[in-house]
Amino acid sequence: MIILSIDSSATAASAALTEDSKLVGEFFTNTDFTHSRTLAPMIENLLSVSGKTTYDVDLIAVSNGPGSFTGVRIGVSVAKGIAFADDLPCMAISTLESMAYNLILTDCIVCAVMDARRNQVYNAMFRIRFGEVERLCEDRAISLANLKAEISEKYNGQRVILVGDGSTITMREVMDLPMSVEMAPESIRFQRASSVAAAAQAHLAAGEKPLKSAELLPSYLRLSQAERERKEKEAVKQASEDNAN
Amino acid sequence: MTEYISHSLEDTDRIAKDIASTFKGTEVIAMKGGLGVGKTTFTRGLAAHFGVSEGVHSPTFAIVNEYKGTVPVYHFDMYRVMDEDDLYSTGFYDYLGKGLIIIEWSENILEYLPEDAVFIELSYGEDENTRIIKRM
Repeated sequence: MIILSIDSSATAASAALTEDSKLVGEFFTNTDFTHSRTLAPMIENLLSVSGKTTYDVDLIAVSNGPGSFTGVRIGVSVAKGIAFADDLPCMAISTLESMAYNLILTDCIVCAVMDARRNQVYNAMFRIRFGEVERLCEDRAISLANLKAEISEKYNGQRVILVGDGSTITMREVMDLPMSVEMAPESIRFQRASSVAAAAQAHLAAGEKPLKSAELLPSYLRLSQAERERKEKEAVKQASEDNAN
Repeated sequence: MTEYISHSLEDTDRIAKDIASTFKGTEVIAMKGGLGVGKTTFTRGLAAHFGVSEGVHSPTFAIVNEYKGTVPVYHFDMYRVMDEDDLYSTGFYDYLGKGLIIIEWSENILEYLPEDAVFIELSYGEDENTRIIKRM
């Protein structure tokens, strides 16, 4: 099976072509947000140097968020466009989950974190054992303080490794915990298309059905309900104060 | 805090250029002030300092305008942005650090601004041509 995988969920963008378990080619750039101009030519070049066309592709896998709003939109749109044209099946992979596959050979707890600004991260936890990734919680937006508390309560004594562009801010937060938390080496710390393909293969092997291009949707993972509620409360309070004046 | 008094559009333009000369070009400028107080004129002055000579107008409907200057200038109007989900879907966070970000109606997103944002408040003065410009 030939999978064309795409990731442009943050500042880097990449495309990979895998044939069964073999990585045939991968194109990676990290040049800030130029994805709308660079992603399609990257895919075109990748296919051409691999001697393939979209007709050879059996599945398109894309990281559909969380991540940068613009980045996620571009990745999903490009995937949808290619899939629609050739009626190819698609698979949406969580950006966080794809990064767990960067560490597939290491038995550990993966704490995947992406910077969501203002001391929050997009996060999910995974356990890797014997080359298999097990999801321990849903993708979510969480404050660094709450994540720290959870790591210390649930994973104390286990090997916890951080991946993602939120690794540094998370590391700073958890540094004083009386347990060891590691950062994945730079070369395998961030999301990339080949890991998206690896995750897609695992989903297929587990029996998940691919989607049609029309069913492929971005998952932005909106910020926490609690925050929105707080803001609503503040607005009500402000309004009553305004009335009082 | 620094306070400036403007008596004309030309004054506002000059004050904006003056303030802009202290910027590197990656700052977030949060502007506050009522209708017709000169936010767009002020923005024109800031952008002009960074080589943007024309085309600056309020992006009320587009939400963000991009101008090519010596640094990229991103001009936001947050009038219709009501919460953080709205803000996220403008792509605002993707622009941080990529150029000079100038925000009209920043009061709508006050709690989501970076800590080092520069605050500019424009208000009416004694007569119809006078404006008070505060930098915080």
